Amino acid sequence: MEMFEWMKIIIGSAFLLCGIVIFFTELFGVFHFKYVLNRMHAAAMGDTLGITSCLIGLMIFSGFNYTTLKIFLIILFLWFASPVSSHVLSRLEAATNEDLSKHCEIYEDLRILEQELSDRGTANDEKEETI
Amino acid sequence: MVYHTIYITLLIILSFMLLACMIRAVKGPRIADRLMAVNMMGTMVMVMIAVLALMLKEGYLVDICLIYAMISFLAVVVLSKVYIGVYEEKHRQKKSPDEGTVKEELSDGNV
Repeated sequence: MEMFEWMKIIIGSAFLLCGIVIFFTELFGVFHFKYVLNRMHAAAMGDTLGITSCLIGLMIFSGFNYTTLKIFLIILFLWFASPVSSHVLSRLEAATNEDLSKHCEIYEDLRILEQELSDRGTANDEKEETI
Repeated sequence: MVYHTIYITLLIILSFMLLACMIRAVKGPRIADRLMAVNMMGTMVMVMIAVLALMLKEGYLVDICLIYAMISFLAVVVLSKVYIGVYEEKHRQKKSPDEGTVKEELSDGNV
């Protein structure tokens, strides 16, 4: 029984440590990158993987009861909510920035991008294209 | 006892990270930067509330965490929609005195 308790503590702490390291990476990325759309990439990582890892550690600590189920519900909600909020934020940036082309490539027509991507695809691996 | 030490350590580390997020929110040159920092702060506060729920052995604090997640998501979506609306309104007002004809065409189209 004692052994089982120690196992629980060690595995839970490992998950929590993983989450803290991911949060730290997120913060580093947010201060390191130069532009919002780059920073958002780092921030989204912490929003999904960091909090999931932390909450899994807490679930292991909590044992098997209703609290665990509720924590799982938080993870499930964040899986849906985090990409949506990232998308809305990047739309805000793209709509309000006057000189977006200084920071990234812009395709006025979507067909140009699709054409370019398909050209690149055929150049790289023709095998997959034929299948 | 071991659990208590782990929780306290976690809370201290998270609070320092929260402070760093706050610095980003104050520094951020654009509105999207600030909103993103607020979103990150929401994520960290969620972990803190979940830790507190286990530390104080009060299960209902996790419900508050769930509601906090929903409100934080709603705040980001609503604020960005509002800022897009404000920006477009300002843009139209700035443009209209120069190009009167365009504005008339636009109003005709809208009607």
